[in-house]
Amino acid sequence: MQSKWDIGEPEKRTINSETEQLKSELLTLNMGPQHPATHGVLRIEIWTDSEIVAHAIPHLGYLHRCMEKHAENLDYRGVIPFVDRLDYLAAMNMEWTYVQAVEQMLGTEVPRRAELLRILTGELQRIASHLMAFGTYALDLGAFTPFLYAFETREKILRLFEEVSGARLLYNYIWVGGLWNDWTDEQLERVGQFCDFMEEEAKKYNELVSYNKIFIERTANVGVFSLQDCLDYGATGPVLRGSGMKWDLRKNKPYSLYSEFDFDVPVGDGEHGQAGDCWNRYMVRMKEVVQSVKIIRQVLEKLEPGPIMGKVPKIIKLPKGEVYVRQECPRGELAFHLVSEGDAKQPYRLKVKSPCFTHVSMLPRVAPGQMIADFVATVGSIDIVLGEVDR
Amino acid sequence: MLNVDFQKLSDLINKNVPGANAVVNTPEGKSDSSITVEASSIFAVVSFLKTNSEMPFNSLHVISGVDYVEHMEVCYMMSHFDPEGGREFILKIKVTDRVNPAVDSIVSLYAAANFQEREVYDMYGIKFNNHPDLRRILCPDDWEGFPLRKDYVAQKVYNGMEVFPDSKMNFEDREFIVRQAMIKKAQTQSAQ
Amino acid sequence: MSTNVHQTGSVKDYFLDLYNGIRTSFVGMWITFKYVWSAKHVSIEYPEVREVLPERSRMRLFNDAQNCISCTQCAMACPVDCIYIASEKYPEGHEVQKTSNGQPIRLKLTQFVIDTSLCCYCGLCTTVCPTECLTHSHDYEFSQYTIDSMKYDYLAPDVVAWRDRIVKS
Repeated sequence: MQSKWDIGEPEKRTINSETEQLKSELLTLNMGPQHPATHGVLRIEIWTDSEIVAHAIPHLGYLHRCMEKHAENLDYRGVIPFVDRLDYLAAMNMEWTYVQAVEQMLGTEVPRRAELLRILTGELQRIASHLMAFGTYALDLGAFTPFLYAFETREKILRLFEEVSGARLLYNYIWVGGLWNDWTDEQLERVGQFCDFMEEEAKKYNELVSYNKIFIERTANVGVFSLQDCLDYGATGPVLRGSGMKWDLRKNKPYSLYSEFDFDVPVGDGEHGQAGDCWNRYMVRMKEVVQSVKIIRQVLEKLEPGPIMGKVPKIIKLPKGEVYVRQECPRGELAFHLVSEGDAKQPYRLKVKSPCFTHVSMLPRVAPGQMIADFVATVGSIDIVLGEVDR
Repeated sequence: MLNVDFQKLSDLINKNVPGANAVVNTPEGKSDSSITVEASSIFAVVSFLKTNSEMPFNSLHVISGVDYVEHMEVCYMMSHFDPEGGREFILKIKVTDRVNPAVDSIVSLYAAANFQEREVYDMYGIKFNNHPDLRRILCPDDWEGFPLRKDYVAQKVYNGMEVFPDSKMNFEDREFIVRQAMIKKAQTQSAQ
Repeated sequence: MSTNVHQTGSVKDYFLDLYNGIRTSFVGMWITFKYVWSAKHVSIEYPEVREVLPERSRMRLFNDAQNCISCTQCAMACPVDCIYIASEKYPEGHEVQKTSNGQPIRLKLTQFVIDTSLCCYCGLCTTVCPTECLTHSHDYEFSQYTIDSMKYDYLAPDVVAWRDRIVKS
């Protein structure tokens, strides 16, 4: 059988005939569904020419749980556990966005204490999610210690959430019209102590990872998303801010009570590398943690005793119409398109606009020309969670 | 929605894109307004929205499909990211053909439409002309049927596996409840 | 095209990079080195030591069947339909008992099964129960060998034995 590597009789072989016969083809590599660095079950088919990536094709759907179809058979309160499970690392923000959509159509008034506590839990969840992104990103690049530090800090937040809502990760805490349980003064005191602790830790993480020369060499100038690319592909959140545009829904289209708070919006400015590369996206997240701590401190000052649940009918039926509500979640802008047909107890259509889905579509654009290790750094820096991508 | 004067926008569209027939839908209550255009003019309308200087829209947020039983709608959420002033609104088209629905693709205008249109195709079966890679994205590649349609019934067998196996459907418990409900109903009816 | 190499490679840049690399590595190592002395023991040695869960923790469900009035609110509120309830009317002349908080029990509960392999521990069923007979216990160690044994029948005679095992708030 003639093998394609057959280069002829030993006597006739010359150095030229060997190199002529050796064809170079693209190698197909599966950064497969099981992989420690893809943050979930994501399959990326990489075609490489030795070490350099030529194409990258993401294949989704390994975690598709038909949440949008399920929501058509559940009543409005029963959708909240399903919505939790979309981006399971930032579940409070998911619930808050969905509940805001239902409340906008119903027209309920949410009491002030409930709104402030929602901001408190939303920002605490943002810190927890960014800590997770920080820890797993450092782990992807080979550093094991920051992962453990980040998780120890995150454990403090999750323990607080368990005392308030009953669960560590999938809370079912933010309900239509307010909240399920109230926070006691002692728990709020611990939140204040956590804020002090987090500021110290953020400085420590900056010294340990962010300004480490090896980390900078690995991530600066890698995976550059130009601003025009980001707008074309619909990127939002830290990916868009890392490329230089100062767009944050909490400032540009304030929802809830965010217009009363004073905080900055960090933007990727090219301190190391250039705006739009992995280092700047990562640094936007680290700076956002500090800004979230600032917001939490202001919430603790403004809190006053009061009710936490507004007036909501026992059986929720929405009038006919549709609404599209967006919120700034840790990974980007999450939006719900909620369509209801007349007086029904169930939504007619619930479409989830997930930020990670749009960010995964940017990978084929930026992959060609990178080395495989740089590609791993890029995938980690866009911070995807497959529960949201596949729903 | 944000910062959009619907009447002005629909007048602009009607003036610059002939045949678009932009109609503003203002529902009662607290729902969002939207603009409906003709399905055949979607490419021209979106390219006008992207390139005009009065109310430009530089990004596409999401494409969502809705199945009303006689027709289907495709909603495009157009948005404009600008730190000075952002804009956003819903642009809708109606697709009346349920057997072979087809709409022009806007991938050449906004690259975000690539994955979004694949998802609408996967869930509703609406084909997009000139899409570079129209195949299923979330369901497996050889799945039959379009799941989010209202008249969808799941296939019985997929690649030799049963889709809803009887052993996992909890029939005894559910039937017990149904039987009990029927007994209770018969008792209340005979008592009346 | 991503390039990690510096575009301008002067001798000064080379030595500056080298100095920065070594300096930041030492800064990082000093941070981790401090943990040698100051590390707090954060791991608990499970299963010898168990953590005390907060009182609102939502673990395995427990239903006190003597207090149930068969309103089926929990079965309707459940998002995954894992509660199966069946009840029937009492025969004539039966004296009406009351639950622990005063409500009369008018229906006889014949089946109350929760399929805990489907349960998502959201807690919606416990909030709508009018007599508060359905509660969350703090038991999280209830794995079984077969999926069928994950269906818990709360009218079974041995439920009293569980009740003692569960640390119930």
